Amino acid sequence: MELKVNQDNCLGCGVCVVACPVNVSISPEVSGGHGSKTTETIMMVENGVIKLFSEDKCTKCGTCQVFCPTDAIWLE
Amino acid sequence: MAANIKEVKAKDFNVERSAEEDRELSFKDESCVGCGVCETICPVGAIKLGSVGAIVRNDIDESKIEIDEEKCVLCGMCSVGCPVDALEFTVDGTPISEIETYPKLISSAEIDDDTCIYCKACERACPREAITVARQLPDRSKLVTGEIDIDKETCIDCGICEEMCPADAITIDQKGPEDFDIAVDKDKCVYCLVCKKACPVDAIMAACRTCSYGEYDLDPKDAEVTGKALIDDDACVRCGWCEEVCPVDAAKVEKPFEGELNLDLDKCTTCGACVDVCPCDVLFFPKSSAPATLDDKLMKDEQFCIYCGACENVCPVEAIDVKRTGIKCTPTKSKSWQKSIDSLKTN
Repeated sequence: MELKVNQDNCLGCGVCVVACPVNVSISPEVSGGHGSKTTETIMMVENGVIKLFSEDKCTKCGTCQVFCPTDAIWLE
Repeated sequence: MAANIKEVKAKDFNVERSAEEDRELSFKDESCVGCGVCETICPVGAIKLGSVGAIVRNDIDESKIEIDEEKCVLCGMCSVGCPVDALEFTVDGTPISEIETYPKLISSAEIDDDTCIYCKACERACPREAITVARQLPDRSKLVTGEIDIDKETCIDCGICEEMCPADAITIDQKGPEDFDIAVDKDKCVYCLVCKKACPVDAIMAACRTCSYGEYDLDPKDAEVTGKALIDDDACVRCGWCEEVCPVDAAKVEKPFEGELNLDLDKCTTCGACVDVCPCDVLFFPKSSAPATLDDKLMKDEQFCIYCGACENVCPVEAIDVKRTGIKCTPTKSKSWQKSIDSLKTN
């Protein structure tokens, strides 16, 4: 099972980036709604759409999928 | 050589081997809480815990555990370790929980029918919806006593009494513009006298005998509630909520594991995976106690914890530590089995 994104659906809101518990532990500033200072996080919004950077760090908890308003990020 | 046969039905599975003995392992996904005890205890690494967080949140539709039937040696250890009876292992059709030579976790949940007052507190509190309280209520007519009569000659068919009666005891049958029948159902009437007070033409004569003479003509036995409280063993996880909420101490629960649950709130990012996965409603996010106050991020009711470890496995940031210090189990002569069971303890 892996983490997938559909950039066509993505609004670029960044809710998944903030909600992801792993992202916050890697780059605490994302919890304040700022962009990450590193590309070590699982995903980030780049050029207005979501992009996966280190999907191998995903623990498959499903939190991003719970919060995404447009089904643009999911586990499959 | 005898080979293992795996049969998958939706999210459940059976692994079977027919030799001198027929050995079968059956998994019930509905009972499984995703704790991973089976994965830990399996001596050959045949069981793999799925992505339980995503599964309980309905993000993905998968079985909570996977088994490799090529690796499985059909020993039955997973069935012994499972605290919620999601894995059943049978030898020649007999579950090993009924075979004395096999060890068994000691756990139980019971509701004593003689003590139970059928208040349904346990049914409401049970996080697994495992309890059903079936109760018969007494006849309302046997709890009140009085008299009521409506004088049809005086009655003007206004319908006020019918509309106001809190017990729906009065019915007016409108047969024509001026033709009607009015009747009081004495099985429903509680002699509250609302109709009498509301009637604009004083057509209703009623008296409550309980108010004027006391309750001497009521038999207290008629007020008893009877019933039965049933626990669904497949769904029950022995968390102890029923025992805690029972006002008459009719529920008794014995948990299979002892231990402690520690939360590291500095690491916690409040993703809620543990809250969603906990089968016992132990973990919760607190409501703010007053405006502009900050409470703990995550709280626990540890008395209901069964130390299964599902929350620890699902936490993405290692903020939860479940220690199992005691395993209540019937004795076994096999040292290797005892060692496996003891391996569930954490140091």
